Amino acid sequence: MAEILLMIVGGAFAGAFGSLLGLGGGILIVPLLTLGFGLDLREAVGVSLVSVIMTSSVSAGVYLQRHLADLRLGMRLELFTAIGALVGGTIAFLIDERWLSVLFAALLGYVAVSMLRADVSSDDEPGAGRPAYQVRNLRIGAVGSTGAGVASALLGVGGGIIKVPLMHLAMGIPLRVATATSNLMVGITAAASAVIYLIHGEIDPYVAGPIGIGVFLGASLGSRVAHRIDLRILRLLFVVVLLYTAVQMLLRAAS
Amino acid sequence: MRDFDRAIGRLLIALTYVGTALLVVGVLLMVANGIPPSSGGPSLDLASIPGDLVALRPAGFLWLGLLAVLATPIARVIAAGVGFALAGDRQMVVVALATLVVIGVAIGSAVAFG
Repeated sequence: MAEILLMIVGGAFAGAFGSLLGLGGGILIVPLLTLGFGLDLREAVGVSLVSVIMTSSVSAGVYLQRHLADLRLGMRLELFTAIGALVGGTIAFLIDERWLSVLFAALLGYVAVSMLRADVSSDDEPGAGRPAYQVRNLRIGAVGSTGAGVASALLGVGGGIIKVPLMHLAMGIPLRVATATSNLMVGITAAASAVIYLIHGEIDPYVAGPIGIGVFLGASLGSRVAHRIDLRILRLLFVVVLLYTAVQMLLRAAS
Repeated sequence: MRDFDRAIGRLLIALTYVGTALLVVGVLLMVANGIPPSSGGPSLDLASIPGDLVALRPAGFLWLGLLAVLATPIARVIAAGVGFALAGDRQMVVVALATLVVIGVAIGSAVAFG
């Protein structure tokens, strides 16, 4: 019983975190299950994919109802991410993963610095609705989203960590809209991967059940309070996650 | 367009509520039967789900809930595609169809080549 409660609480934390930052929350679920509950990595990733879908669906549902997520933009970009993931899965054996990890870490570091230096004054203020903005550089968005899909397939990182800064810094999308739209997108690529894990028997229903309930509670709460959270805190949280992932990539390359 | 976004949002939330409700029943049955998460659950067997549901075994409710969760994003793309078709937005219909095809190819190739 205590184990189930701990999984629900852990899932709730990951769901809230994922819905606020548009990342799905897998970045927390995998270490929670491997280090905290002793699951092997494959099983943890399988459950984490279910959690990402749950976070995506709950958060995107709330954000669409509040007109904060951009459905048309999200659907366009998710197509390129899906293509990128397909390409990444195909060419995975051709590329030296260590060098790719180093390059990706450098990119994440650059993005983190750019996000810290970005002009906040042009961004949105806390509020319930979608702020006014003009989507620009759609081609760069398409190329970047394809790259996010490739990186996701090659390195196992969620596409959101690339697409949120891409939308925010390169396409002129306010951070709140970028995270909301990213939440919409991460579900479909996670669903494709989750089906593959399901077919290979790598999803344990006794673990995915309690974690899924927790993620549902956390993501429901996170998406409902997101508009009240100061943008500077949101931005800082995102930068911390970017730097954490960059360090993980460097450690992977070193090992 | 705002009503369309809201309808897609409602669909996502409704499907997630259904999935979560099934997961809650499954987890309550785990607790009632003294099954710890670390005991390792059964793999998915679609044929055994109806029997598990009737016998109130947790695996049936958990698998049905997880399948509902997994189907939600795909249902969202299909529903959005239908909505865009009804609105006469051909470009977005193509986007939705292409997404479904790419996802289908990704799953199919992963299954075929292991």
